[in-house]
Amino acid sequence: MAIMMPAADQAVLGRRGEIVAALRAIVPGEGVIDSAAEMLAYESDGLTAYRQPPMVVVLPDTTEQVSQVLKYCFEHGIKVVPRGSGTSLSGGALPLVDGVLLGLGKFKRIREIDFDNRVVVTEPGVTNLAISQAVAHAGFYYAPDPSSQIACSIGGNVAENSGGVHCLKYGMTTNNVLGCEIVLMSGEILRIGGKAAENSGYDLMGIITGSEGLLGVITEITVRILQKPETARALMVGFAEVEAAGECVARIIGAGIIPGGMEMMDKPAIHAAEAFVHAGYPLDVEALLIIELDGPSVEVDELIKRVEAIAQGCGSTTCQISTSEAERNLFWAGRKAAFPAVGRISPDYLCMDGTIPRGALPKALARIRDLSAKYDLRVANVFHAGDGNLHPLILYDANKPGEIERAEAFGADILRACVEFGGVLTGEHGVGIEKRDLMDEMFSEADLNQQQRLKCAFDAQGLLNPGKVFPTLHRCAELGRMHVHAGQLAFPDLPRF
Amino acid sequence: MMPTDGHSIVDTLKVRDGRDVEEVVRAAIANEQPLEIIGHGTKRTIGQPMATNAVLDVSALNAVSSYEPNELIITAQSGAPLADVQSLIDSKNQQFAFEPIDTSKLLGVYGNGTIGGMIGAGLAGPRRIRAGGARDHLLGAHAVSGFGDGFKTGGKVVKNVTGYDLCKLLTGSWGTLAVMTEVTLKVMPKPESERTLVLSGLDDLTANRAMTTALGSPFDVSGAAHLPNSAFRPATGALAEFAAQGRAVTLLRLEGIAASVADRAGSLVKALASFGTVEMLQDAASAAIWSAIRDVEPFAASGALGAWPVWRIVCPPASGGALGQVLARETGGDMIYDWGGGLIWAALPPKPDALAALVRQRVEAAGGHGSLIRASEETRRNVDVFHPQPSGIAALSERVRHSFDPKVILNRGRMVRGAPA
Repeated sequence: MAIMMPAADQAVLGRRGEIVAALRAIVPGEGVIDSAAEMLAYESDGLTAYRQPPMVVVLPDTTEQVSQVLKYCFEHGIKVVPRGSGTSLSGGALPLVDGVLLGLGKFKRIREIDFDNRVVVTEPGVTNLAISQAVAHAGFYYAPDPSSQIACSIGGNVAENSGGVHCLKYGMTTNNVLGCEIVLMSGEILRIGGKAAENSGYDLMGIITGSEGLLGVITEITVRILQKPETARALMVGFAEVEAAGECVARIIGAGIIPGGMEMMDKPAIHAAEAFVHAGYPLDVEALLIIELDGPSVEVDELIKRVEAIAQGCGSTTCQISTSEAERNLFWAGRKAAFPAVGRISPDYLCMDGTIPRGALPKALARIRDLSAKYDLRVANVFHAGDGNLHPLILYDANKPGEIERAEAFGADILRACVEFGGVLTGEHGVGIEKRDLMDEMFSEADLNQQQRLKCAFDAQGLLNPGKVFPTLHRCAELGRMHVHAGQLAFPDLPRF
Repeated sequence: MMPTDGHSIVDTLKVRDGRDVEEVVRAAIANEQPLEIIGHGTKRTIGQPMATNAVLDVSALNAVSSYEPNELIITAQSGAPLADVQSLIDSKNQQFAFEPIDTSKLLGVYGNGTIGGMIGAGLAGPRRIRAGGARDHLLGAHAVSGFGDGFKTGGKVVKNVTGYDLCKLLTGSWGTLAVMTEVTLKVMPKPESERTLVLSGLDDLTANRAMTTALGSPFDVSGAAHLPNSAFRPATGALAEFAAQGRAVTLLRLEGIAASVADRAGSLVKALASFGTVEMLQDAASAAIWSAIRDVEPFAASGALGAWPVWRIVCPPASGGALGQVLARETGGDMIYDWGGGLIWAALPPKPDALAALVRQRVEAAGGHGSLIRASEETRRNVDVFHPQPSGIAALSERVRHSFDPKVILNRGRMVRGAPA
């Protein structure tokens, strides 16, 4: 494993039998897994390059059990790693050798559907898609749609602040959750927010969302649901140059149009996707945009015309407009299958997730091309063009010595470039362990200290998911130390009134 | 220690840059001298009276650092006047989609404040139901904590999950966590046209149902408000016509390209047929109505209810009608409903305690929370201005506050009554 995790606590490992027994007393039956063979299923998440079996797996099915498990671990100084469906692409649920893996997979019930208040109250193990399915009969859906939505859990979505193709218009998870029940590392159960549009006091829901399982374990979530738009249509537009496609994206936004989705693929991604799903993608273009417009038919028809004109003005070489739901889905099929499609042309790939200002797209892609030559590894680019979120897929072969290291170095250079161009390390996949050691490319020590001080407010002993997100762990006492400055409120040169 | 709430004469330190802010906060720590943080000071009367004895004034940090319309972002220093920033983005046909409230009429002060004040207060207008609140539009910030350390959080792109989202905490924290020096905000295109559907004469419960029907439709309603018939309404401003006619009105806003708005208006009228006939207001007339509702003009400090305390109550939207009706009956107060019933502005006949116990009991029973947005200093000294939290949440919130400002230097005591002084 190329990444250093916190040193294993030998004293805890020495008490493993006792710990397993204590957990069995809290979660009876098959809810505690301690056999090496059965724990294999939990040794990694979606970031499969990293694997580590946990000390023990516990699968509680009530909030009270979660509370008791955490309280026990808190009192005995045992680390805990929470896990939803295990689809994280950043290693957020990677187990620790001396840690309890706390799986929320048994929290599978939707507790309440409230159409009048337009919310669903759900347990965290319910999949993202299942929420939309549960309200579809009344014309509603849950808007954030990560591409793993068939499998990923809503609890994991909250932990990672998941996005998706439609978040340009409808927001990320954080813009679509209202409240939760959360269990702190101490075992304390708290209810935050509810069906009201906003919470009182500090926005604790806002800080918990996207905290990557470091602040608490969520046992219930209240999400907003929306009415499905009356119709949706898509344009598929090809360009001879990536720059022209980037310009087209900028002009669409500049014209005041916020499409439901706006995706870009480069030539290698187009070819891989077309070979896989035969969506009819043009193979002679350098960049392909898929632009979806949704709303009432009259609006969609009008905006399709406007977008088509903008694309022509930017020198598009091909333009197809969906005329049926089947055709729209076909346009998307290649994009949605881009990752597995790339998986067919390479034994392994790494998926990166930086965000850049939209305007920096041409220079970011040029940099990626240069890096591809430098590291002698192929790359295919898919891109949430509307919000500047890049997903370069770096192709490598784990069986060739040194290739994974080269691929990781290539990926790190891409993320450094994203920061250099005014962007960020991760747009939707999270920091986890994958980007942990790059955090100081984007944040100063003072920035990271303030984030870790906040962690101390929730988990002062640092027992919940340690080793994720932060490159250096500090003790809370050390972080809380005040600078002592002698001096007076003098400031002779400041204007006073 | 001299309170600044009565605007007594105290040291005011007008900082020029982030470094100055760090220096002032560090000196304040060393001297155990809590600071009141102000921009233009337009919202100073919101919150508990503070235990501060010096003012840190960020109004000179007033530059727009960058504005990139095609990226849908603007970066401005925290002291930048909101009105100037709004006219700048308006020139590119863009806006803050959450419709920040202009509290000047409600509070009886001059001016619309600064960008920093807008985020620190986090008060969103009618479009919150569709576009989210201030919290959903703050993408990044530079700030100085109560440790005297400058830090940044978030970024300058719309999609970002790198590190904890401290922007969410800064929004609505009323200056109690950190002194923001620069913020990056999301801007959105202004709609090309708007229409308001007006239903007349509905009681609060029926109006609540009409709004629920509209918001549960696929017609993308971006404003849903109800003004009950009221003996108190001033016959001035955009709402004068309704007041003069002496009838309750329920207002539903549609925005977008003209053809779409017209199409959805037609569909929505049909969906609301059982609630009576619908009148229609267009563009400028519609916009004027919604800015009057956003700014709570019927309760303006200069109006008939100017001396009444005003509560801002947030609750599950479908229970707003019933809650407001009970509050009106039990207090003799006047209600305005926004957010489809999810936001109630309640002006109550003056009482020394602003009827806090009664209001809080009724609001909690409905699953909501209420803050006392306008009241005398005396009243605010004696009641909890912000809704008291259950003990576990209160303790966690205090630990969060402590993680930013352990010596309670920043806006000491503004959010919690009886906080350490």
